[in-house]
Amino acid sequence: MSERGDIVLSARGIVKRFRSGDSELEILHGIDLDLRAGERLALMGPSGAGKSTFLHVLGLLERPTHGTVDLDGRDAWSLSTQERALLRNRHIGFVFQFYHLLPELDAVENVMLPAMIAQSRGDFREDRHQHIAKALDLLSNFGLAHRLHHRPAQLSGGERQRVALARALFLDPPLLIADEPTGNLDRDTGEIVLELLFRAQEERNLSLLLVTHDERLAERCGRVLRLEAGRIVGALPGHG
Amino acid sequence: MYRIFLSWRFLRSRRTNLIGVFGIFLAVGALILILSIMTGFLEETRRSARGSLSDLIITMPPYSESRRPRDPAPVLEVLRKDERVEGASAHLGWMCILTRQDERSLRILVDSQSSEIAGIKLTGIDPATEDNATEFRSSLDKVGRADDGTIEAPRLRVASLDDPFAAPPDYNANVGRPRASVIVGEKVMTYHGLRRGSFITLMTAVPDPASDTGWSAKKREFVVAGCFRSGENEIDLERVYIDRGQLARFLAGVSEDDPLPEDSILYSEVLVKLKDYASDAEAVRASMGAQLFQAGLIDETCSIRTWEEFRGALLGAIENERVLMGIMLSLILVVAGFTIFAILSMMVTEKRRDIGILTALGATPRGVLVLFLLIGFWDALIGAFAGAVIGTWMAIKIDPFERWLSDTFGVQIFNRDVYLFDSIPSVVTPMAVAAIVVGAFVCTLVFAAIPAWRAASLDPVEALRNE
Ligand SMILES: Nc1ncnc2c1ncn2[C@@H]1O[C@H](COP(=O)(O)OP(=O)(O)OP(=O)(O)O)[C@@H](O)[C@H]1O
Ligand SMILES: [Mg+2]
Repeated sequence: MSERGDIVLSARGIVKRFRSGDSELEILHGIDLDLRAGERLALMGPSGAGKSTFLHVLGLLERPTHGTVDLDGRDAWSLSTQERALLRNRHIGFVFQFYHLLPELDAVENVMLPAMIAQSRGDFREDRHQHIAKALDLLSNFGLAHRLHHRPAQLSGGERQRVALARALFLDPPLLIADEPTGNLDRDTGEIVLELLFRAQEERNLSLLLVTHDERLAERCGRVLRLEAGRIVGALPGHG
Repeated sequence: MYRIFLSWRFLRSRRTNLIGVFGIFLAVGALILILSIMTGFLEETRRSARGSLSDLIITMPPYSESRRPRDPAPVLEVLRKDERVEGASAHLGWMCILTRQDERSLRILVDSQSSEIAGIKLTGIDPATEDNATEFRSSLDKVGRADDGTIEAPRLRVASLDDPFAAPPDYNANVGRPRASVIVGEKVMTYHGLRRGSFITLMTAVPDPASDTGWSAKKREFVVAGCFRSGENEIDLERVYIDRGQLARFLAGVSEDDPLPEDSILYSEVLVKLKDYASDAEAVRASMGAQLFQAGLIDETCSIRTWEEFRGALLGAIENERVLMGIMLSLILVVAGFTIFAILSMMVTEKRRDIGILTALGATPRGVLVLFLLIGFWDALIGAFAGAVIGTWMAIKIDPFERWLSDTFGVQIFNRDVYLFDSIPSVVTPMAVAAIVVGAFVCTLVFAAIPAWRAASLDPVEALRNE
């Protein structure tokens, strides 16, 4: 693992406050973070510490009250909504705890969704066969060759998460953000998904930002940060 | 590309969308059908409102001080020379009372509550030149309806089309019998219980400077040569045609065969039919008016009016009715649009999570907006197209369809006896169909815009946070 890779993601002074009624609740109290290419970073901490909120800010889904997020060398939160959406599309792959697949689409279609969003109708049609081939490739690599045209409702949790992982990887984004990807799976199934996640991360030299409650999982990451009550309280090198 | 793909997929995967499509289908189809029938009724009414009126009517009151020529020939000559004019004909109109030797006449005269008209508009025409200017000739053999409501075969109501005022073949005008004949309206015929060959007495008053009241009474007996059917109730009930010369003799008080005296009244209006009424009416009216005025053929007491001005109030009412009807019926579209609104709102709520997912994968709020607008668009496209096709088809086939329904279920939906029409009138105007389809689209999209906008402004994180 290259600890000395280029900085892919850089967050400075992230503050996030939520307004609830008259009072304002500060969840993140000014967090800095750098993430290098190929780096595997685990974010741990008690429930309610603000981990998911932090990931959403980094993943360009939730605007921070203060602070900047630089992605691909650009100050992402000062871009237009369109540009930021494009950045999210091309540079970030998300894996959520609850899979979040579209129930109307089958596995292959779900995997191709990022390309559908990225491309115009004509372009997508032109590249359709490539896209399908790539989706089939990813899914078979993840052991889902026999589940290609199943809808999410017809898949098990582990299978759904593997489809979600394939979707996150589809446009080869440099950054993968995973919020408790195994939180909803039993140990063995979670293990399979994790293996695939780490393997893909290594093969593609991705930066992985992983939120987990599982110490043993964190041990396999190059760097572990502890977030408590909206502050980074400790950094320990992992054993990755 | 996901917008079209997903909107279509969402549409297909939710059965409730069918309700929206069906609503638009129903609204568009019903609107087209109802408006076509409405238009048909209105056009039919308009046609019968026009009745036997010509395109342009020049009213020329026969005042004794008038310095206008006594004879209509110079006016007719000027008019017929214009190549925009199809034909022109002079009329002499006079109000009369009709009686005959029959109990019925008395009953008609004393019935103050009757809604039927007892007075008669005696109209003097020149049968030879009448055809080009009015619908006189066609009213002589127009298809009518028998008393039991069935449609009669076309039949001639007078002895001869070429000589309509000829007395019935078996009539011989002995001394003391009337020698002038009249053609009465179909309803006059039945109302007064007349037959061809019946005698009627017409009575009226004419200006008479010699009399101390200024008027003197006239009456004369006529023979009924036949009847006409204009299709317009009032006309068929109160008009009686007579040869213009014979009317002039009647008013002048000279016998049927005598020459007309110098000062007799010969005409009171001139009717003009144009080759292209729609485009020429105003121009002809202006140029004719100026030309006739300069030639001293008309004066300030005369007026030139189009037939529409004569029936202005009625036509205005018809137009109002059409507009009002259109507005009220458009409410159907609003209801259909509201269905779309309800369904889409439900869908947005249900798809909160999916909207969050799409945003996370790089969709913009604008993209999400378009996605949901497109669902409304598909609804409108399918519904409006199907509605336009079925609605138009139904509008064209409404009459056979109604007959089939009546025959099959024995319920009469359209009572042909109540109307003057023999079939359900229905006029499909492409413009109206297009307007309805466009209206359906606009309505649907406006209503879809509200939930679509809500979808676009959803907080993606909120939607993603939980299962
Ligand atoms: N929109 C919001 N409005 C108000 N408070 C919020 C909002 N979103 C999150 N919070 C609060 O922010 C805090 C952090 O939430 P967050 O989901 O980031 O925690 P977490 O560290 O991911 O916890 P878990 O491990 O349980 O997932 C919580 O107390 C939560 O109630
Ligand atoms: Mg969380």
